[in-house]
Amino acid sequence: MMTEKQLSPELFELATERQGDMEKINRPSLTFFQDAWIRLRKNKGAVFGLVMIIVITLMAIFAPIFSDHTYKEQNLKHAKLPPRIPVLENIDWLPFNGKDMNGINVYEKRGVKEYYWFGTDDLGRDLWTRTWYGARISLYIGVLAAAIDLLIGIAYGGISGFYGGRVDNVMQRIIEVLVGIPNLIVVILFILVFEPGIISITVAMVITGWVTMARIVRGQILKLKNMEYVLAARTLGASDSRIIAKHLLPNVVGPIIITTMFTIPSAIFTEAFLSFIGLGIRPPQASLGSLVNDGYKSIQTFPHLMMIPAFVISLLILSFNLLADGLRDALDPKMRK
Amino acid sequence: MARYTLQRFIYMLITLFIIATATFFLMKLLPGSPLQNQEKLSPEQQQIILEKYGLNDPVPVQYIRYLGNLAKGDLGVSFQYDNRPVTQLISDRIGPSAQLGFQALVFGTIVGILLGVIAAVRHNTAIDYTATILAVLGISIPSFVFGGLLQYYIGVKLKLLPVAFWEGFEYTIMPTLALSVFVIASIARFMRTEMLEVLGSDYILTARAKGISGFGVIFKHGLRNAMIPIITILGPMAVNLMTGTLVIEQIFAVPGLGEQFVRSINLNDYPVIMGTTIFYSALFILVIFIVDLLYGLIDPRIRLAGGKK
Repeated sequence: MMTEKQLSPELFELATERQGDMEKINRPSLTFFQDAWIRLRKNKGAVFGLVMIIVITLMAIFAPIFSDHTYKEQNLKHAKLPPRIPVLENIDWLPFNGKDMNGINVYEKRGVKEYYWFGTDDLGRDLWTRTWYGARISLYIGVLAAAIDLLIGIAYGGISGFYGGRVDNVMQRIIEVLVGIPNLIVVILFILVFEPGIISITVAMVITGWVTMARIVRGQILKLKNMEYVLAARTLGASDSRIIAKHLLPNVVGPIIITTMFTIPSAIFTEAFLSFIGLGIRPPQASLGSLVNDGYKSIQTFPHLMMIPAFVISLLILSFNLLADGLRDALDPKMRK
Repeated sequence: MARYTLQRFIYMLITLFIIATATFFLMKLLPGSPLQNQEKLSPEQQQIILEKYGLNDPVPVQYIRYLGNLAKGDLGVSFQYDNRPVTQLISDRIGPSAQLGFQALVFGTIVGILLGVIAAVRHNTAIDYTATILAVLGISIPSFVFGGLLQYYIGVKLKLLPVAFWEGFEYTIMPTLALSVFVIASIARFMRTEMLEVLGSDYILTARAKGISGFGVIFKHGLRNAMIPIITILGPMAVNLMTGTLVIEQIFAVPGLGEQFVRSINLNDYPVIMGTTIFYSALFILVIFIVDLLYGLIDPRIRLAGGKK
């Protein structure tokens, strides 16, 4: 009662708005991904990579649909035509004028009315359709392999890192043995036994491929699991699975995305490599790798058969690498200025 | 260190054993047999051939015999090359492959280090950007594409170097170049990062303050320290060179191990596939083992923790 009397209303004054401002957060509050996106946009290489991936993906989806030809349609009368594209054919130095090595316009000579934008192969299949169809298969294999790696890797690495102790010990010994096995050897043996196809190639790559992801996830989880917020969640009675799924994994997302972005191009490369040693996708199906490999056989006379798919696959792998490099920098919170 | 070495060695043996076992059973799953013209042979003849290759015994017996032979370094005999032992086939073919790999590694390392150092010293200049772009391109463009481009432009169009085959040093130039692109690119990237870090450290500043020339600082103080972590990329590099030779030998018609391996795959010559697989794996595992030991030598934390990393 005494104190109440001492504090008379005159002692108080109204807080001005300026005082309230002092506590105000001036910088816009950004989520982790908004922040990363801002950083990513500043990286020219990463933006180029992202745009090219989108363009190639869209072409891979839609170009075969809107093409007049199918990837396996043969027309022996139109075999081995060089590329010819309307408008661009008038520019001399571009290789799209329908002329062969000797400078003869094969289209006029053979009376072909149609324009084959990327030319045709020795069976008269339209290379434009086949290239984008091949890109579709290559992308599909790359993304599928990365996705399966992701699932197994997160589950394995998460459990191993979170439970630690004996579980971790045993799981790590298994990984250590798997790491020692050359990826390529497993892939080759596996495909020898189970005929080459999209699924067998993907599975073959996953057998040892998930190890990288598991190791990265484990390392991150080990680091994060002793943080105070995990202890807090545990004190509040959160179950193990909830802590892993809601508290730990979201914080590991950065490294996971980066690893996945590096897995996709390497899977695309491995698939192409398999075509080269005769274990790739079987014709009439095609992947970018098998197209390059087929093109080699006639590189001296019809270089476009190799050059075009080789260009697309190089561009695709390059784009993924650029984007992954950019993401690695962008997703690092220490980079925020 | 002794404990660490022993531990690594045991892992090496386990891995090799698993590979040998997996190879054996996968090969048992494969269709086909050494009987090439099965319909032309009488049942008795077939029996004789199966007996000769020991294929009549139950699988476990075959497996034990296979492991025993393997321990003695016997990889069996080839189906396609008139029963010649696989070990001999490998040793006949290893020469060109090893030469290509070695040349690519030496050339690639020298060029890669130079490129990386120059990029780091001229940080954020046009030279740096060019080197960085070249390095990304080198990592991204598959060696078979690069090999094809070289073959077409230098071999076919300009006729500067022979397009293929293996008859002298000039025949090795293009395959070596194609193979070394990845080495150059990955070493350059790595060197640039390491070098930038080293050049920013205090002892470099001290050295400069003492008046050591720019060249001396970069090469004596900078490069030496930047090169230590390079062993971390030795493992992936070895794998890449191995993969590379498989394809590059194919493209340039080099009579190496890779070319023979690919042919065996296409002809279903299982003993050669198995033997080469195990040989490649052993080589790879040995590289990993050596790299692990080097890690242990350089980084005491790994050594003391008993290899827990």
